[in-house]
Amino acid sequence: MFFRSAVGALCAGLIASSAGAAERIEFMFPAPVQGKLSREMQKLVKEFNSSQDGVEVVGVFTGSYDDTKVKSQAAAEAGKPPAVVLMSANFATELAMNDLIVPIKELAGDTDLDGLMQEFWPAVRPNAYFNGDVYSIPFQNSTPILYYNKEHFAEAGITKAPETWAEWVDAAKKLTKPEGERWGIMMPSNYDYNGWLVQALTMANGGQFYNTVYPGEIFYDHASTQGALKFWRDFAHQHKAMPTGVTNSKQVSTSFFSGKASMIVLSTGALTFVRENAKFDYDVAFMPRNIRNSVPIGGASLVSFKGTTDAQKKGAWEFISWLTSPEKIGHWSRFTGYFAPRQTAYDLPEMKKFTAEHPDALRAVEQLAYAGPWIATYNTVAVRKAVEDEMQALLSDPELTFREAAARAQKNADAILAPYAEQTALTLK
Amino acid sequence: MRPELKKWLTPGALLAATMCAVVFLWSTPFLWMLIASFRPDAGGGLGMASLFPDFTPTLQSYRYAIEDGYWPLWFLNSTILVTGTLIVQLVTISLAGYAFARIRFPGKEAIFYIFLLQLMLAPPVLIVPNLTTLVHLGLYDSLIGVMAPYWGSAFGTFLMRQTFRSIPKDFEEAAIIDGASWWQVLRHVLIPLSLPGLTAFSIVSVVYHWNEFLWPLMVINDPDKMVLTVGLVSFAQGAEGASDWGLIAAGTLFIMAPLFIAFTAFQRQFVNSFMSSGVK
Repeated sequence: MFFRSAVGALCAGLIASSAGAAERIEFMFPAPVQGKLSREMQKLVKEFNSSQDGVEVVGVFTGSYDDTKVKSQAAAEAGKPPAVVLMSANFATELAMNDLIVPIKELAGDTDLDGLMQEFWPAVRPNAYFNGDVYSIPFQNSTPILYYNKEHFAEAGITKAPETWAEWVDAAKKLTKPEGERWGIMMPSNYDYNGWLVQALTMANGGQFYNTVYPGEIFYDHASTQGALKFWRDFAHQHKAMPTGVTNSKQVSTSFFSGKASMIVLSTGALTFVRENAKFDYDVAFMPRNIRNSVPIGGASLVSFKGTTDAQKKGAWEFISWLTSPEKIGHWSRFTGYFAPRQTAYDLPEMKKFTAEHPDALRAVEQLAYAGPWIATYNTVAVRKAVEDEMQALLSDPELTFREAAARAQKNADAILAPYAEQTALTLK
Repeated sequence: MRPELKKWLTPGALLAATMCAVVFLWSTPFLWMLIASFRPDAGGGLGMASLFPDFTPTLQSYRYAIEDGYWPLWFLNSTILVTGTLIVQLVTISLAGYAFARIRFPGKEAIFYIFLLQLMLAPPVLIVPNLTTLVHLGLYDSLIGVMAPYWGSAFGTFLMRQTFRSIPKDFEEAAIIDGASWWQVLRHVLIPLSLPGLTAFSIVSVVYHWNEFLWPLMVINDPDKMVLTVGLVSFAQGAEGASDWGLIAAGTLFIMAPLFIAFTAFQRQFVNSFMSSGVK
């Protein structure tokens, strides 16, 4: 009797261990543009799991971009580092700086990563590198883009989308109807979006916004950013073509769909969502320029936390390579509206067919030629918030001048960056 | 003013009118949600913000919500979570409340105030230390791990201490004379007399844990252990400017339904227990 049960237990143990031979790794991902797409992500994970039997990926939904950062960091600190995380593209620098994520070469073995990065659009590359090493592989990317209601344009007698800031202001004024009946232009000014758009306007105004080579410098109190702050503020207070105060991205999209806003600035990642919900003739256009056409990229990249086993690292790389293959990355792009960061995805026949049917998706890709990296400094979120707080104050308070706001943003950001600067550029022997 | 009108403008009528206005203001979000959940094209069509139904109602949002979510699983997990939390809490807070209310031991006041300090800590501060403890205990990624940090409730202990202290000692003394031990006193005298307090605490606890988002999100990885709040967000949240209001409204109504039904059914008992326990 004892013998039989012992044999039984042994067999059960053997079965369990052979079934458990697949290396289990965790993949944390935030809500993409539209929440229901997280089901599609789980489908992709399942597809990967059934395509091979060496690795078993557990897809873990982790809320917003910020929640994802908190959760993955907390898990890593508690001793359960996730092997793969889809992280806001500009957080990688900071995570790498704090030694929380590993350079991809630790996962990838002999893969030529610099060669691989050449297959990605030049605009998404800088955010992937830190100190000369690749730390993240771009997966879903976006840029800010101008959506406009063609019916309103026709009604106001405007024949083409604005290309310069002067034309933009002109169009916004013409499209506005008094008493808040219709706004010429709306842009989201909630945290995260806010800083992204201030950066977009600054870049269009000829600026660089932050030091793309050295993470201890930010250029808020400089002409290009000052001009951007004033330009945005003037839409609300001087031209009265935009609501005052803070407007979040949901209000912006809702106003656009309901015809209460004629032009909006949103992520290209919202393209599919707009396509499904706009019940009128709309189109997208490049972000207008003052000095030059330029926008920052946004979106998310795949990173791997420190402290995983070698087997997990190997599994993580297998999954990352699969997910960022031209076929899968292209599929995800068509499904969501994000552009595929891997250029080779656009050479595939499915993608060619799709962009022929939806020329607006191509506009987002064309704008990439003018795109640059997204703010990534020491303590990125706090540094970004320094300018966001001022931009929000400018939109709410007509008395505040853009010079005061820019100076204060610079002062606060410098204080946040000071510890890093002291340890690096200011440490001289 | 006409006399008939004057007759109506009594202080009572004015008070009633004010109350109605306040009730309307309070219920606006709920009414809006109810209407939005039946609205077609709820991605933000014309008049999306309107409180008045100006459309033919459709069940489309509910259909999407049912299709997109694993509701039975999420309801089960949330139910396990709130009951598991509550049952242990009721035991610990009664015992701790009794100790702080009746037993004399050195440093009692100091320990009690240290205990109360828990209330001052913002929960996000504890995320990493609590997670580390859970990993050490092997409870990471389990529902028990979500419950564990709440098992010693400072608020509940405080509430039970106050409740026990308001019960005259005569009752206990009578029981002790009859030969009851301390736990018999607690079980047969104090607890039955503090039911309103326990009920009030249970409501607060259940509602809090039913609606909690951040902590379950942090602890749980396995999709099979996902709770309602995280589940709703997993298919209804949009990160970059998109949101399907109808879907969010329908999902939120699903989540609140059990609590809403329970509250309507036991309204009188609930209100009474809050009144007599002094919890607001």
